[in-house]
Amino acid sequence: MSEMNDPRARQPRFRGLEAGHRACQGCGEALAARLVTESAGPDVILTNATGCLEVFTTPWPQSAWRVPWLHSLFENSAAIASGVEAALKAQGRRSKVIAMGGDGGTFDIGFQALSGMLERMHNVLYVCYDNEAYMNTGIQRSGSTPHAARTTTSPPGKERMGKRHLKKDLLSIIAAHHIPYAASASVAYPQDLRRKVRRAMEIDGPTFLLVHSPCPLGWGHDGSETIQVARLAVQTGLFPLVELERGEVASVMPLRQRVPVAEYLCRQARFRHLFADDDHRAQEEREHLQALADYNIERYGLDGDGDDPFDADGADTIRRGGPANS
Amino acid sequence: MLEALEGSQAIARAVALCRPGVVAAYPITPQTHIVENISKLVADGKLNTELVSVESEFSAASVVLGASAAGSRSYTASSSQGILLMTEVLFNISGMRLPVVMTCANRAIGAPINIWNDHSDSMAVRDSGWIQLHCADNQEAVDTTIQAFRIAEATELPVMVCMDGFVLTHTLETLEIPDQDLVDRYLPPFVFNRMLDPQNPLSLGTLVGPEYFSETRHLAHEALNQSASTIVDVDREWQNLTGRSAGGLLSVEGPDDAKIGVLAMGSVVSTFREAMDCLAAEPAKLMALRAFRPLPEEAIRSACAGLDHLVVVDRALSPGFGGIVGGEIKAALSGMKDAPQIYNVAIGLGGRDVPLEMWPRLLDVPKQGGGFRILDLEPAKLGEMS
Amino acid sequence: MPIPMNRGAFALAGSSLAFKTGTWRSAKPVHVHAAAPCHGACPAGEDQQAWLALLQEGHPQQAWESLVAANPLPSVTGRVCPHPCESACNRGHYDSPIAIHAVERWLGDQAIQNNWPYPRLPGSPRPERIAVVGAGPAGLSAAYHLARRHYNVVLMDAMPAAGGLLRSAIPPTRLPRDVIDAEIRRLLAVGIEFRPRAALGRDITLEELRSEFDAVFLAVGAGKSRHWDVDGAVPADLHEGLGLLREWLAVGAIPKPNAVVIHGGGNTAVDLARVMRRAGVRDVHVVTASGLPGPDTDPDDVLNVVPRELEQAIEEGVQFHPHRTINRLIMRGSKVVGVEMVRLKKLPDGHGHKARVSFEGTETVLHVDMVVPAIGEVVDPTGLGAILNGRDFIDTDMFGTIAGHPGLFAGGDCRGWIKKLTNGTVSAAIGDGRRAAEGIDALLSGRSPMEASRPALPFADLNLAYYESAPRIALPTLPLSQRDDSREIEGGPDTSQALAEAARCFSCGNCLACDNCWTLCPDNAVLKTRETCSDGSHYLFDYEFCKGCGLCATECPCGFISMVNDD
Repeated sequence: MSEMNDPRARQPRFRGLEAGHRACQGCGEALAARLVTESAGPDVILTNATGCLEVFTTPWPQSAWRVPWLHSLFENSAAIASGVEAALKAQGRRSKVIAMGGDGGTFDIGFQALSGMLERMHNVLYVCYDNEAYMNTGIQRSGSTPHAARTTTSPPGKERMGKRHLKKDLLSIIAAHHIPYAASASVAYPQDLRRKVRRAMEIDGPTFLLVHSPCPLGWGHDGSETIQVARLAVQTGLFPLVELERGEVASVMPLRQRVPVAEYLCRQARFRHLFADDDHRAQEEREHLQALADYNIERYGLDGDGDDPFDADGADTIRRGGPANS
Repeated sequence: MLEALEGSQAIARAVALCRPGVVAAYPITPQTHIVENISKLVADGKLNTELVSVESEFSAASVVLGASAAGSRSYTASSSQGILLMTEVLFNISGMRLPVVMTCANRAIGAPINIWNDHSDSMAVRDSGWIQLHCADNQEAVDTTIQAFRIAEATELPVMVCMDGFVLTHTLETLEIPDQDLVDRYLPPFVFNRMLDPQNPLSLGTLVGPEYFSETRHLAHEALNQSASTIVDVDREWQNLTGRSAGGLLSVEGPDDAKIGVLAMGSVVSTFREAMDCLAAEPAKLMALRAFRPLPEEAIRSACAGLDHLVVVDRALSPGFGGIVGGEIKAALSGMKDAPQIYNVAIGLGGRDVPLEMWPRLLDVPKQGGGFRILDLEPAKLGEMS
Repeated sequence: MPIPMNRGAFALAGSSLAFKTGTWRSAKPVHVHAAAPCHGACPAGEDQQAWLALLQEGHPQQAWESLVAANPLPSVTGRVCPHPCESACNRGHYDSPIAIHAVERWLGDQAIQNNWPYPRLPGSPRPERIAVVGAGPAGLSAAYHLARRHYNVVLMDAMPAAGGLLRSAIPPTRLPRDVIDAEIRRLLAVGIEFRPRAALGRDITLEELRSEFDAVFLAVGAGKSRHWDVDGAVPADLHEGLGLLREWLAVGAIPKPNAVVIHGGGNTAVDLARVMRRAGVRDVHVVTASGLPGPDTDPDDVLNVVPRELEQAIEEGVQFHPHRTINRLIMRGSKVVGVEMVRLKKLPDGHGHKARVSFEGTETVLHVDMVVPAIGEVVDPTGLGAILNGRDFIDTDMFGTIAGHPGLFAGGDCRGWIKKLTNGTVSAAIGDGRRAAEGIDALLSGRSPMEASRPALPFADLNLAYYESAPRIALPTLPLSQRDDSREIEGGPDTSQALAEAARCFSCGNCLACDNCWTLCPDNAVLKTRETCSDGSHYLFDYEFCKGCGLCATECPCGFISMVNDD
């Protein structure tokens, strides 16, 4: 730190999440939370469901947050956010409330509170950091875990090939609340993520953002590959990046080139059993996941126009001096 | 000004006088009329508050947790299953030292489902770290509700005002509803220095490991213990303003030389007051325990001085143990010199009527001796139920 | 003293800074200033990536200054260099390489048009005087690099004008004379004394130079054609290629047989073939032992010609016979009436080298009435006897030092080439002159000469997710029907093309300031600075907090970040 006089204090972007947090190396959720809070700026109040993000950011007496932050329980992030928002309204304060939770706290245990918050039209941006399993408790399956993925409660074996059920289509359920804005985003596309956060911040009403955030530990990939893996999830069509306004698809990020799902799956230990040579079920499940990706591509019209540079809108290409699309 | 009001309506009025910033509640019998009356006050423009009509009691408690952390005076109300659904949040509110006030319209807990009054619900969250104050009548409930905000905000502890479902909530009484000016003088605006504020961005609800957790529990315990003096002071101040006490920690009625006493909480206290006036029975002291948490051990001991027998009335029970209040009173008097003999009974479970005639039956308990029992049990019905 | 527990266990903003997660790390990211492959491949020593970057940033003059820090003749090399930089360009593995030569040419032409002054290095005038013998590319380069270092330089040449081979051997269709004139005039204006018509061994001797000057750089070129015969047979009217080209350039005369075979695989052979074809020779054959560029040809076995020149020559009707040699001259009396060719290839000889092996039974005959060898030249020994010692070239080290002759340096076509570095191109001569200037400066300053060397960044180290496909610019080329002996065939890019091409650069191994590392660090351990750091980037690693996950290294588009062990 001798090179520049305290550069940390003079960063050109607001940083809502400070260094010194205890996330694992290459944590997608830490990155996602950092990007969200950077884009949202300082005039926010956060609520946080119990989970990794809460644990690794706030071991008393330390906190990595630079914005006011409230944690209560696993399943009530949306509800305490509703309360904070109501209080701000009562006091005539204008700070934006952002509720945060993992997929466990959002798809599953906190789903009712979230639905209530959306129905009551609270002016809250709810951000779900989706790492597709209960990671804080040691990688158990959630409603968001993809089909056939290995978790500690969906282990593959003689009678099973990982999770038997499908990933819950939460975004459609959220959209059915007819809220002004709901979108999916990925840590692999930070410019797109930022734009979506800013868009949500501008709306006076409930908005929802589902951020695909790889967990190196839970998914079984190296921490340095978090972005690569997240990018492949998008490029295969398994995790489509879409925006929904009042329940209707408003825009999608097109795929410049479809990537076969196997390229995504083979990088992660949670899908390793799908590559067993001597197991006929492995190929069947791979084909099943490919079919799910194809279904997403068809449903949302994700096929781009090949090399047309204009279809890169939202993709995170760079040029000298910064991102190409910011 | 004196008005004839239903208990729930009176509570709604009392809450409105306290100018809460946020109210969140979910309907459940017998609390329903409270949230309905508050909704009507809001709809009529008589109460300017953010009324959050949540999708569950769990969210009701969560909303007031968030609102309180964000610096607003916050109120909720519930009963029975609703209190149980709130349980996780209730522990959280007290652990974070958030001064939320709630009304518990006391009701039994199923199964079997039963919508009528006893104290099973508030007893189930006895250890949640909330101050619990029990009201004998609706005037006490009105006064205690207003005092509860003072207590909560002075101690930064949540307060649960317990009033018996139906018996109080649905009963019309002539009540004194204080003026807004008086309440404004008594209850200053809420200021919360740990408020969620981008200008002073604190993190609330952190993780505390083994190296500090005992200290947090000790501090919670001390805070509850120390709140006893606040409860007394706040009631005394109220009495100075209105001429009415809501009962402090514990109030005692009856002749000084009585050798037998009855300790009870809630609306049965009013029934027994009436019985003492109109039934010929042996001289006895009636102890109305208002503060169940914090349990005022010293006040109980001094009230019991000179008694030979004390009958503790429970409105709930802990299966496999017995009366909950009874067990606690025994512990409180343990080691006391010349302590009275303690008898513990439960009555009025799940709404079973407690008539005036219950008073002499209670005074008769020491003569019968024996351990804990449900006094108004009808043994003939046991066969039918088994 | 333990920290006292507060009410409700709240925590203060950003207090996690007390927890130094850097202790978790077993590997740490570092900025590695690897060389872009273009830089490594450039015989002149240019850092193309660096000047393309400056152009991208909108600083064309700075880009040119960066370019001429290595190569003072970009207008020339942008036209005549076979651009090994483009062959090495990583972008070639992605879509198509950057048209570096076109941007180089554009920058050179901009400098001429706007009269941008050649920058000198900081420092004060040096008292030493240095003689540079030969004003071809090597001599011009050495003189310039010495003048930049504030030496007194006297540049002498046997010819009336500076330029050497640029004037005498390269047709104006490839290198217009006004470009040579302008660039050399501006270069000499840096402060070089030019003495024309001073030939070594005729007008001056080496001994005189050595006594008059503190150091002497010999850049006399290779002026004598290599001896050529086929099994001892030589046609009576033999003309060698470079001589014919020189004559044509000087007086415009060229022989016009019906059919000619030119033996050789360099620019001289191809230039001469095109001149003769345009002059009306019906059949122009080029027989070369090398191969044509293509997937089946080893890179070190390809014809040493600018690729686009080869394409144009084929367009113009020159017939190439690759992987062949002349086996026999078919003579009628002392006159050639044909040649017998045989196929051959470079193959391992079993001793770790490669040798050319001809294949019996593949002989074919070409009916021609003239055969022209263009197989290269050696040093003219006039005035250099003591240095050459009977060899064809002068032996030097990479800084031009001649062992046993302190103060005497040599470079360019006259020195024994290190094959890989050079192949006798203009750019290689320019590189020689630059390194010799360093050798001379080091000698006169009492230090060891230095040549910076950085590892090249392999294509695999780029993260292609961050780049978009973009077509290489198409340059205007004179249509076949309009080509003559004087008009330049290939045009240069316009400004928007030059900028578009610069923008295609991957910036291999060098920070793009794209913010990826800063944006993607989950741990806030990359800090951005407004000022440029000492490593040339705008980013600092905060090792107090860096957990060593390696995300920044993986997601760096241009391979500027590497993970190194940090146990």
